[in-house]
Amino acid sequence: MGILTVLWEKWVEFRRDFYKITVAAMISPLMYLIIFGMGIQTTSHGEPYLHFLIPGVVAMSTMTGSFSAIAQNMSVQRLYEKALDQVMVSPTPLWQFILGQVIGGSLRGMYAGGIILLLTMPIRTDLTFNALSLFILFLNGLVFSTIALTLSFLAKSYTDAPRFTSYIITPMSFLCNTFFSTEQMPAGFRQAVSALPLSQSAGMIRAIANGEDPGWVGFAVLAAYLLVFGLLSMNFIYKKKNL
Amino acid sequence: MIELKGLTKKFGDFTAVDDLNLRVETGEFFGLLGPNGAGKTTTISMVSTVLLPTSGEILVDGKKLDRKASEQKRKLSVITQEYSMRQDMTMDEVMEYQARLYMLPKREWKPKADELLEFTDLTEYRRRTVRHLSGGMKRKLMICRALLIEPQILLLDEPTAGMDAISRRQMWNLLRRLNERDITIILTTHYMEEAQALCDRVALINRGKLQKLNTPQALIEELGAFAVDETSEDSLKSRYFASREQAIAYLQTADHSAVLRQTTLEDVFVECAGRKLEGGR
Repeated sequence: MGILTVLWEKWVEFRRDFYKITVAAMISPLMYLIIFGMGIQTTSHGEPYLHFLIPGVVAMSTMTGSFSAIAQNMSVQRLYEKALDQVMVSPTPLWQFILGQVIGGSLRGMYAGGIILLLTMPIRTDLTFNALSLFILFLNGLVFSTIALTLSFLAKSYTDAPRFTSYIITPMSFLCNTFFSTEQMPAGFRQAVSALPLSQSAGMIRAIANGEDPGWVGFAVLAAYLLVFGLLSMNFIYKKKNL
Repeated sequence: MIELKGLTKKFGDFTAVDDLNLRVETGEFFGLLGPNGAGKTTTISMVSTVLLPTSGEILVDGKKLDRKASEQKRKLSVITQEYSMRQDMTMDEVMEYQARLYMLPKREWKPKADELLEFTDLTEYRRRTVRHLSGGMKRKLMICRALLIEPQILLLDEPTAGMDAISRRQMWNLLRRLNERDITIILTTHYMEEAQALCDRVALINRGKLQKLNTPQALIEELGAFAVDETSEDSLKSRYFASREQAIAYLQTADHSAVLRQTTLEDVFVECAGRKLEGGR
């Protein structure tokens, strides 16, 4: 019930800001696709670079969509509007509130990723996107929503949300298997970057797109992130002394 | 019934609420008074579970209130000092969100929401977003939202702050009517005449500590039911007397310009908070 309440709240927000959300989700990924994929004509592993780029940009859009939907919204609700007080005093179980936020954030991420998939449809690439791809996008969204929730509980000011994006999301966007393969990175750095959730999501989406087996390691890494940040969020909302 | 037992809240080295013990009975209209920074809002925030106490506990009908206590939280409604609402929601959406958080069926909350918005003259603005409402409208909306769930205990943190005199009187009448329906009301306010007019009992707190706890009349009588205000060139001093005769006798001996009047709860508050009135009131 509490989960549906949060999803309703997210739906109200989405319905109201539909155009803003849609345009914001499109602009950066489209620029990357046009500039790196179509403007700078190149190849990767003997294939057009666009074939490498599209799965990475889709995974990246899911990440940014989910993260920004939660980080900004929760920081403002908690620190500026104080609207979280309304939730805290209500009988809605807080674990349901967290779960609703995470699912809602992931759906927003999937919407952002879905837009890019739709926009790239006319390009003949022979890339495959199936139900498993969608599941990975959903999982990726869940992970970044829990990260966003955890950070927004740590935020001291609602202006911290853009800083989190600068410190975490922007570096991941460029480094994590989106624009170039992590295999080309120096040893040590490569392993560190490969362990980040977006590297795994982008890798799995790309494997499926190329008709390959995504393996299980990526699922395990994403599940581990989801578990850790999910538990941290729960711990904060139940135990943090000063919310 | 709501009970605070040894409630303490520290922020680093600063103690905002210090070993507060209070028991508010069912149906009581209770005032929590104190100067700025006394710990009133911190206490309300602990009852709404936004802040967790450093030590001590809060009991609602004998059961511990914490963030997991859905059963106890269902009985509570809080009107905070700040406009704690989604600024981008319309009034209708704010009410629906509240109803959903309390898991109320639509057939139950919708007519109630209509009635509350009508009662507070907000119906014509119901599709306006919160950010486009005046301060008074936001305050009224918070009251509608709090009453939508028909709480057994209503906590109000300075509910009439920023309201004009007419709206304040309307609010007083509304609160009296709610209290007549056996709703327990805990009110923090800066307006002493408000506390005196409404509250069965008041607690005066200062620097987080409970200073006095009694009925407004008993507190006034304890200080002295009659006051003589002496005005000199640079200050105003008040002296308090148990009887009118004593006050008149003093008045006749006063050097400065002096006025006899009845002592109010504000006098008790000022004396308790140790504030000096300088330059008149």
